Order: sequence, then C-alpha cells, then structure tokens
Amino acid sequence: MLNMNRRQFISAGMLFAAPTVLGLVGCGGSSSASSGAASGDAYGEGYTFKHGFDQEYPPYSFIDDNGQTTGFDVELAQAVCKHYGWEYQAVPFNWDAKDAELQAGSCDCIWSGFTVNGREDDYLWSKTYSDNVQMILVKKGSEIKTLADLAGKKVGVQTATSAFQMLDAEGEQEELAKTFGKLEVYPDYTTAFTELKAGAIDAIAIDVTAGNHLIDGETDYEYLAEELGNEQYAIGFRKEDTALCDKINEALDALAADGTVAEIASHYPEIEEYITLGK
Amino acid sequence: MDISTMFSTMSVGMLRSFGIFVLTLVGSLPLGMVVALLKKSRFVVVRAITSAYITVIRGTPLMLQLLVWYFGPFYLFGMNIGNWRFPALILGFVLNYAAYFAEIYRGGIESIPVGQYEACEVLGYTKTQTFMRVILPQVIKRIMPSVTNEVITLVKDTSLAFTLAYQEVFSLAKQISASQTSFMPFVIAGIFYFVANYIVEFVMKRIEKSMGYYK
Repeated sequence: MLNMNRRQFISAGMLFAAPTVLGLVGCGGSSSASSGAASGDAYGEGYTFKHGFDQEYPPYSFIDDNGQTTGFDVELAQAVCKHYGWEYQAVPFNWDAKDAELQAGSCDCIWSGFTVNGREDDYLWSKTYSDNVQMILVKKGSEIKTLADLAGKKVGVQTATSAFQMLDAEGEQEELAKTFGKLEVYPDYTTAFTELKAGAIDAIAIDVTAGNHLIDGETDYEYLAEELGNEQYAIGFRKEDTALCDKINEALDALAADGTVAEIASHYPEIEEYITLGK
Repeated sequence: MDISTMFSTMSVGMLRSFGIFVLTLVGSLPLGMVVALLKKSRFVVVRAITSAYITVIRGTPLMLQLLVWYFGPFYLFGMNIGNWRFPALILGFVLNYAAYFAEIYRGGIESIPVGQYEACEVLGYTKTQTFMRVILPQVIKRIMPSVTNEVITLVKDTSLAFTLAYQEVFSLAKQISASQTSFMPFVIAGIFYFVANYIVEFVMKRIEKSMGYYK
C-alpha cells in the first residue's frame, strides 16, 4: 500500500514537472545569440550572408515562373553579396516567426518588404529603400468608393502585414476597422484574393505593391482613391550588428550610384515607381 | 508558370517530404519499442518518466513541439540555431511518433494471454527467448492495422514541417500559390499525398498478407 502511494506520488510529480520544463521555453531569457565576431574583418570576402525572407511575398521575395527564388529584395541582396564577394545564403522563413529566426541567428537580417513604421525601436534599421502605400482593393463597379463606404463590409487582410497592423488594435486605422462589418484575417493574400473573387469578402486591405502583383493584369479590380496609409521599407538587423548594417548601407549607396538598383527595379514594373533608393 | 515547371519545382519538395517520412519511421519504429518496454520496466522512476513523456507528447500539438525543438535551444540556452532546422524537425517527428508507436506496441504486448508466458516458463524459455520467439511475432501481426493507420497519418503530417519553413512539398505549394495566384500547386500537393498513401496502403496490405501464414 505504501509502495503504491509512492509510485503514484512520483508519477504525478513527473506529470507536473514535464510541462513546467516545456513552459520554460516560453518564458526563457531573451539573451541574444550574436552571429560572428564584430571585428572589422568579420564581414570580409567569403562571408556567408544569410538573407532571411518570406518566400510568399511577391514581388519582393517569391518563386518565379521558372521555379527559382527571386524578387526585388532577393536580387538586391545577391547584388550586395556580389559587391563584397560574399556567399549568398537564402533563409526562407515563416513571416510569423521572423523575430525568433533573427534573434536565434538562423539569418543575418529580415529583408523582405519589411515595414519600418511602428517598429522603429525594435530593430537596427538600414536606410529605407522603398515606399509602401496601403490601399483598399475592391471589385470594379463595387458600391464602395471611399473608406467610409467600408462601414458594415467584410474586409480581408493578411496576418502580420503592415495593412493588418494598421487596422489592428492600436493601429493608425483602428477606428476605421471598427466600422467594418468584419475584418477577416488570412494566412496569405492569395486566399483573400480568391475570396474577393468569389464574393465572400467585399474588399482587401493591402500594400499597393503586393496588390499590383496579386491583380497581375486582371482588369476587374481597382483601388480606392483614398490611401489607407503610407510607410517605408528597410532591412532589419539585430541591434548589435552595427558593423553589418553599415556595410549593407554602403553597398546600397554604391549599387544605387552605378545603376544596379535601377536595373533590378526594372525587372519589377509594378513596384518600380516606389523604389526610393538613389532617387 | 506552366504545370510541368510547377511540378518539377515541387518535386524537390516531394523528395524532402519523403525524406522526413523515411527518417521518422527509421527513428520512431524502434524507439517506440524501447519506450513500450521502458513503460513495463521494474523501476518506478523509469515507468513514471516514460508515462510522463507519452502524456506530454500526446497531449500537445506536433506543430507546437516542432517549434519548441527548433527555437528551444535558443530561448533556453541562447544557442545559435543556424543549421538546426532539419535536425530539429526530425527530432520532433521521431519523438512524437515514437510515443504513439509505443502505445500501439504496448496494446499488442498486453493482448497476449498470460498463459503463454506460463507455458514458456514451463518449457524452460528465458524471458528474452519468450519475448523474441513467442510474444513479438504475434504482437507484430496484431498491431499491423494500427501501425498502418499511424504511417498513413505520418505521410500527411509531414506537411507540418511548413511551421519551421522547411521547403517540403506543402511549403512550396503555398509559396508557388502566392506568387502565381493559382490553386494548382495545392491540387498537385493533394495528388502527391494521395498517391503516397495509396502506395503505403498497398505495401502494408502485402506485408499483412505475408504474415498471415497460419490462416
């Protein structure tokens, strides 16, 4: 009998101990793993530059018609690597997990149509290289003409994007979002666009550049004239990686000066006019 | 992007999915047996730890476990996880499936009547001989349908690797779908999983048949 009790006691103890150990993972310290020494020649020739990006964010980083990973940001990052003689390593990640990936050192930076506004203090930022306007996309001929017309309507948005943050609690357009009938949050814009086509939602809040890619020449969709918001894109680094950030900034200037940036931008007509680097 | 390019791009992902599938089975099928035997151990502590392991693994989503294995080393110990993505993935899958297999094995082992153990003892078999020559062959036959179930689930569960952004067939389908604004990649992925499971079912049926030598 005594034996039984002891057994029960121990196994009960184990049951509680195990989740506690797992729980620690959630609230562990935020001591960061800095990759590479910060010495001057740490980023010399042959350095492996780990470009962290969302592979589902056309036209900045995506899979092209030939099945290759490309995009404005990918091409620009590759140009920077070529400039310094670095090895380019693609690190595609899930956008939701970008901060953990960056802090844990699986990548050197977040460079994937990454909005600065609202995150100014969270990262070490490179210079901004692109404007990014948030717009409302509707079907042509829709009764929605202004932002005010969205009252009571179903609006779709992709989670963790700047359009989403703008409409979410404490965002710039939180009040507007409150007038919506419903704000539908999708894991990706492709799904939202399919639902807009099918009439399940009335409008999509989206970055205009991503929206242009989504529409891709289809003529049945248009933006409202009123902008939802206006932001800038830059590259986000770990706060201690100032040496790397400086190097990237230098390279961006050099590539803007020799016309490389303009050349890469010309591959993506839908965002060309928004690229601010070298203008 | 035409269908053939889409297919060839995704075929790389299919190989990766297949890799997860094979490595998980190779790791978890034997490990499950070890866990099942540990759960029947003479030592209270060993039994308790094993039960706790099974309870925690079965009680939490695999998706969450994958995140813990991948990001855990950083959040707990501040380690750099540069090349840890794939090992973490396999570790997560193997430990998860081993827990389920262990319970299937245990069910099989406990379904053998005590009389058989007594008979073996009378005939002078050692414990190891009893288990290996009398019990295990019957256990394997009995648990085949449950194992097949688990293996089929595993084929589909490989898609959970997308949580760690591992570029297997489902991740690629999502990404190609995003860039091409097309649903086709998901159709291809669906066909891939279906065909893979069709093959698994066929193979497992053959194995079951080959073991039905007393019927």
